[in-house]
Amino acid sequence: MQADRKLLNDLTPELVQTSTKWYVTFFIFLAFFAVGIYALILQIDKGHIVTGMRDNVVWGFYIVNFIFFMGLSYSGALISGVLHLFHTGWRKPVIRMAELITVISLIIGPFFIFFCIGRLDRLYFLFIHPRIQSPITWDVIAISTDLVGCFIYLYLSFIEDFAILRDFSELNVAPWKKKLYKILSLGFSGTEKQRKLLLNARTIMAAMIIAIAIIVYSVLAWIFGVTLQPGWHSTIFGPYFVIAAVFSGTGLLIILMWIFRKVYHLEEYITKRHFVNVGVLLTIIAAFYGYFTFSDYLTKWYGSIKMDSILIDKLFNQYYSLFIFANYIGILLPGIIIAFPKFRTIRNITVAAIIALLALWVNRYIIVIPTLETPFLPIQDFRTDWIKYTPTWVEWALTLAGVSVFAMLFMLVSKIVPIISISEMQERDQNEVMK
Amino acid sequence: MKKYLPKILFLTSLMTLVIVPSQSQEKPKITPYLELQYFKDTDEQAYLKSTLTYSMNRMVLPLAGMVINFSDGSGGQSLASMVTDDKGVAKLLLGGEVKLPVNKEGFWSFGSEFKGNDTVDGANSEIAVKDLKLEMTLSLADSIKNITLKAHSPLNGEEVPVSDEVITVYVSRMFSLLPVGEATLDETGTSTIEFPSDIPGDENGNITIIAKLEENPTYGNIEKSVTEKWGIPTSYSVPTTHRALWTKTPPMWMIITLSILLAGVWGHYFFAIISLILIKIDSKRKKSKDEYLT
Repeated sequence: MQADRKLLNDLTPELVQTSTKWYVTFFIFLAFFAVGIYALILQIDKGHIVTGMRDNVVWGFYIVNFIFFMGLSYSGALISGVLHLFHTGWRKPVIRMAELITVISLIIGPFFIFFCIGRLDRLYFLFIHPRIQSPITWDVIAISTDLVGCFIYLYLSFIEDFAILRDFSELNVAPWKKKLYKILSLGFSGTEKQRKLLLNARTIMAAMIIAIAIIVYSVLAWIFGVTLQPGWHSTIFGPYFVIAAVFSGTGLLIILMWIFRKVYHLEEYITKRHFVNVGVLLTIIAAFYGYFTFSDYLTKWYGSIKMDSILIDKLFNQYYSLFIFANYIGILLPGIIIAFPKFRTIRNITVAAIIALLALWVNRYIIVIPTLETPFLPIQDFRTDWIKYTPTWVEWALTLAGVSVFAMLFMLVSKIVPIISISEMQERDQNEVMK
Repeated sequence: MKKYLPKILFLTSLMTLVIVPSQSQEKPKITPYLELQYFKDTDEQAYLKSTLTYSMNRMVLPLAGMVINFSDGSGGQSLASMVTDDKGVAKLLLGGEVKLPVNKEGFWSFGSEFKGNDTVDGANSEIAVKDLKLEMTLSLADSIKNITLKAHSPLNGEEVPVSDEVITVYVSRMFSLLPVGEATLDETGTSTIEFPSDIPGDENGNITIIAKLEENPTYGNIEKSVTEKWGIPTSYSVPTTHRALWTKTPPMWMIITLSILLAGVWGHYFFAIISLILIKIDSKRKKSKDEYLT
């Protein structure tokens, strides 16, 4: 399969050469990962006493990170799936990044569950002794299904590019990469029949990915929603989590667009228009997210159920700064920055995205921890370290390790496939010529 | 660097002045609380229970791994040394017939002592108790179930009735004891109470009835229990065919919904995989056709 020479020259250099800066950055992330491994070994050796989790606050950073990464994953799926189904032309440079966010986050997220489980040697019980009535079982089935689906969807989007790279004779990559392209391209040569098969498969998977993403993240929300815990027992937790997930993922997409645009000099392909379009998407989702947040807390506050009132009081006192950052600054600031054309610069939109992403992480934190500190049944023991959760360096190290692995995987994938899909860009160019 | 050296030295010495004295200050010793109790169970086995705890931040916490010396309080003769468990409890079995000297009033004296260590102060406790024999008889008259309790205490070779003591009657339940009545012993040391007829028992109607004299200053803790078919036969087993959120078998609608969802999703996956296989087949066909033509 042949492709436009300019596209090949612009989008493949990173596959061939690797700068010193890339190596330095990679090894910094690797160092963080190594510290995380040490922390994990310490945790397995000494037990969960090295974390801040105790008898009452049994979920901490690990569950927050799990929900956060799962959210990023589903949002990537939703963005790439929706943009694919609606045939939006401007999406083509960013769709691969969205697909990669989906898969990489989905790989990393479940590891935080493994860190949270006290008896890893019994992990297989989830598969051999499942209870269909348990939301945990639903989550295991859902995540496994989603992982397979996202891998298939990602691979479908790679096939044409693998074929192009296989046939690009001037591509001076290592022989193992050439062999990889040859095997994974499945002999795709762009015949009408092959294109039709690929298009049908991608369209169906795009629709499935959207449905799976909504169902899977709703299942994750129901793990909280079906309990009686104050703050969790909410009928809108399903859609609330889905919207929050799309919000965080959109923010991450903008950040990655900025990074790759700058590092790989893709200014011609990822333009201000892309930032504005995804930024507007971020603003719209922020509005929905703000609406769901307000609705959830309003009903809890008005209902005046004792434990809900205690929890809300705690959020507005002990967790005041985190609450304001997550539910006010995190929603309003990105909206203000992007809503006004005067502020819509690439840098400002990226800053708004960073704020949104951090706010969503904090939002997960104030969903999980304050509720566990304010349980439905009264706490029998008043030891401070049992009631108040304080993350330890082990949890911080593993959180940082997760983020580092995310970055490293992205960096490694960008060395194997172009970060912007060559086949998509070629299709866009051909459509523009036809117009 | 040289010009900052005096400042660095000054600050370091200042820090040392603060840190070293605070390190060398001794931490105050823990003041424990030692409680000694006498128990006698339904098999007439007597034992001493000593609990060693301390108070911190308005919480009572156990002291585990501490050596408690039990003694015959009156003569100070050592009985045994036991180590407290993780609840701070040390137990000493005295056996069926406690052959220890009694005073003129018929009291045994027991003592427990914790000698203390580097971090915990010492503590001791003494009690004086009399022996008590408690009998429980169950009778059925005109469909009314009665429990007759009789208590007497040996004194100078005679059995003296115990009067004006309150004995609580319980029924054993799954997690705790259910009180069903209280009996106050009369001058003959006897009391009769009616047992309720609506208490569920096991599948055969068996029920464990326990009479207890609790934390009595004279006699300690005395217990007598008997198992009788006085409960209502109740079956607790759940048929395996019962489908609910909390049973082994999930509700049918759950299984059907999950099956439909999974079949739908994985069906689409198989369609995509089949498309990939067809692409591969088509490419092989095209390749062999191209080779044939050349």
